[in-house]
Amino acid sequence: MSSVTGCFITGTGACLPSRVVANAELAPQLGVTSEWIEANSGIHERRWVAAEQSTSDLAVAAVRDALDDASLSSDQVDYLIGCSLSPDYQVPGIAALVQRKLEGCRQVPALDIRAGCAGIVYSLQLARGLIESGAARNVVCFGAEAQSKGLDLNPRSAELSMLFGDGAGAIVVSGTQDSASDSQEPRLRIEDILIESDGRFAEDLIVRAPGTGNGARWIDSEQIAAGLQYGSMQGRSVILQAVRKLADAAVRITERNSLSLGEIEVVIPHQANANLLRALAKKLSMPEECIVTNVEQFGNTSGASAFLAFWQAKREHRFRADANVLILAFGAGFTWGAALCRVCYV
Amino acid sequence: MLPATVMDFLNQAAAETGNALPNRDSSLFQSGVLDSFTLVDFVTVLESECSIKIDDADLRPGNFDTIAKVEAFVERAKAAA
Repeated sequence: MSSVTGCFITGTGACLPSRVVANAELAPQLGVTSEWIEANSGIHERRWVAAEQSTSDLAVAAVRDALDDASLSSDQVDYLIGCSLSPDYQVPGIAALVQRKLEGCRQVPALDIRAGCAGIVYSLQLARGLIESGAARNVVCFGAEAQSKGLDLNPRSAELSMLFGDGAGAIVVSGTQDSASDSQEPRLRIEDILIESDGRFAEDLIVRAPGTGNGARWIDSEQIAAGLQYGSMQGRSVILQAVRKLADAAVRITERNSLSLGEIEVVIPHQANANLLRALAKKLSMPEECIVTNVEQFGNTSGASAFLAFWQAKREHRFRADANVLILAFGAGFTWGAALCRVCYV
Repeated sequence: MLPATVMDFLNQAAAETGNALPNRDSSLFQSGVLDSFTLVDFVTVLESECSIKIDDADLRPGNFDTIAKVEAFVERAKAAA
């Protein structure tokens, strides 16, 4: 049996809460209409966790699903990388909680990445480095959110609170694959990753409290009264920067791999807002059908969204042999990046 | 003065949203002529039609809030080029 060298995405999984929250349920609390939410975000509904569900509950279910998809058992995991803006606790990190809940998982390193909604591309670069250095053979990256528990459900926060849904997605990254001529399972070889940040915009998308940047205490009654525990967003700035940075990253990563954007078959972006995804497609002069979207059904699931979109793309059989696939993500910080992959059946 | 093509863009955006183009000191956002997404296109039009390159740090919505602010911004950008 021959082998194919490189670093591969070999499995993907997801977990979505069962409760569906339609615009009609949310709109009155936010002082807007269902139509306003849909026009401004493209979102029809989102999923929210039950009170007794935590983010790590979703994450571990998604990780199990991804391991099944990769035909790996939990004792074969060498490294866990978690991305969440809404972890179970401030400390410890969510990855350690997933290690505990994942039956059979050894005492492997468990690391949280705080790169906002760009966590997927940050985690993939780290996973690739771990595999190529020989430090790990199988790395599980996951994004998981239960943002609904932290939303300000008042009209003052309508523009932000209308967006968010809960869910988790996971990806298994492994090294060199043994070749089997009859394989029916797509493997995505990671060809290149480009990640960047620009801290000048840190305050444009922020949850201030708890935090040591707020004065003598990291949270107190005054901060709570001012709503600093809720997210705040300079929406126009985020959209301007996101479209520009993502388009720029897409152009640069394709050019440095001697490809054109026309040779990208599938784009898997962070699901910020349907209007933003349309603006991105337009900026890239790419047909909207190339862009995988689930924001209509799941809302903006933050650090989980591109993981979920990846899972969805595989379920929809969009990974045709030899197709070039581009993962794009942008988040608080600002952080952003692109991962270029090629589909192979080995 | 902004190039006619830039004003054409704003007039078209106003027509498409059913709003009147505001006077030069009134907000394009508050009037409904520009929203977050037409702003993306507006910046692209400004860069091409005014032959300027807008730095990331200057890509702030406040620079594009009124026609007067856009004119001042374009002047600064051309002077700095």
